[in-house]
Amino acid sequence: MSRRGAIARAAAGVVATLAAAVALTASDGGPSVEPGALVTMVGVEFQPDSVVIHAGETLEWRNDSKLTHTVTADPEKAAVSEHVRLPEGAETFDSGNLAPDESYRREFAVPGVYEYFCIPHEAAGMVGKIVVKPAK
Amino acid sequence: MRTRRTLMTALAVTLTTFGTAHAQADLEALVEMAPYRGYLAAHAGLQDPPPLLGGPVTVEISQDGGGVFVGLPDERELDPDVFGTPEMPRAFAGTPGINGVPPPARGIEGGRYTEMKTKSPFGDAHVTMGGASLSIDAVDATAVDGANSDDRVSFQATWEDDAGNAYAVRCCEMLATRGVEFPTFGGVVTNHVLHGSTRIGTALMPTEYVYFAFWGMGEVLKNGEVVAAPRLVHGMLTEYVRAEGYSLASDREVTPNRTHFHLMVPPMRPDMEAGRFVHEDVPTGFTLPNGMELPFWHVMFENLDVRATRGGGTAGR
Repeated sequence: MSRRGAIARAAAGVVATLAAAVALTASDGGPSVEPGALVTMVGVEFQPDSVVIHAGETLEWRNDSKLTHTVTADPEKAAVSEHVRLPEGAETFDSGNLAPDESYRREFAVPGVYEYFCIPHEAAGMVGKIVVKPAK
Repeated sequence: MRTRRTLMTALAVTLTTFGTAHAQADLEALVEMAPYRGYLAAHAGLQDPPPLLGGPVTVEISQDGGGVFVGLPDERELDPDVFGTPEMPRAFAGTPGINGVPPPARGIEGGRYTEMKTKSPFGDAHVTMGGASLSIDAVDATAVDGANSDDRVSFQATWEDDAGNAYAVRCCEMLATRGVEFPTFGGVVTNHVLHGSTRIGTALMPTEYVYFAFWGMGEVLKNGEVVAAPRLVHGMLTEYVRAEGYSLASDREVTPNRTHFHLMVPPMRPDMEAGRFVHEDVPTGFTLPNGMELPFWHVMFENLDVRATRGGGTAGR
């Protein structure tokens, strides 16, 4: 193994580690990666209310309203269980309260159809859908 | 004139609808038919009303930041579960708007009621405003209406419009220890069904479970200045009564496992001696898109922290 090759592999490892860290940060709401799509929260609506992304991409929600919202896909937190849908193997998620101008990002690794809602405004019809296609 | 009329309360509009002296007499008869007249008469002079079963309930509700929904004048769809049918009307007696809705004020199509012919504070139209805060510290100690009450409410709510104007309502140095056309349970009530078919409060709101409610006299402020006082202030923490698009729910659309808090400063004042409500716009200082001043506050808070304890004091008297 040449020294240059070892350095290159080491650098690649660092990059991969950083990428993993970035992905983790992104799924926790950090600002580190470019989102695959943007959903805005306006009034009591997710706009658009349905988006299509590919596995491994990150989706961003931005609260452009004056209200506090959440992005939640957890059947235990739903007023109506039909408002939540998760592909097999996918984990539940909940952004927690998002004040006006705050954002939330999440990476989607498992392909399938996700349906989610806003906790305070679920009954007012604030629900959304994500279709995650297999990775490109 | 027409614009002004659209913003008048149901009472004033109903007077217009009735028009004649004969109709005015009919309206007076409707007000006299408010369904709790007898009940209120039995309780009005009660000097020592009994305590709440199990002891007082202490309630604290707050919202720190975020926004609110502000109701605008709108026509209300008339729920047949509450208002019946043209052949068999319900919920028509009492001061129009704040209690029942007289049949002449109801639209009819295909043998069913459609919506109230005029606008009221109870409909789908709304705007959102930011900079909100809510703070309530209350005790429900007295069970029923009476001349006195051990109930207590400290209430303050604020919100801001897009122009940066700050609005606030404070209450209640004086609680409504007894009701005018429907009971107020000493000023505070907990764990009760109100509105809609109960005929306690306006029938234009759906029948709803109320975890906490109060009625009292308070003050309305704009940018720190009191613009109206004393004004009737009603607040309640209820199951969720908004549906798709934030439309005001019918009874069948209520969501039992969600809550929100409603603040109402109605365009009415109670006339205790006459035992009825009298129209009086609230000079809110908030200008509607049509240039008119919003004549009431109907504000919903939905990011709440709620705490309550029961039996913290003595149950007996």
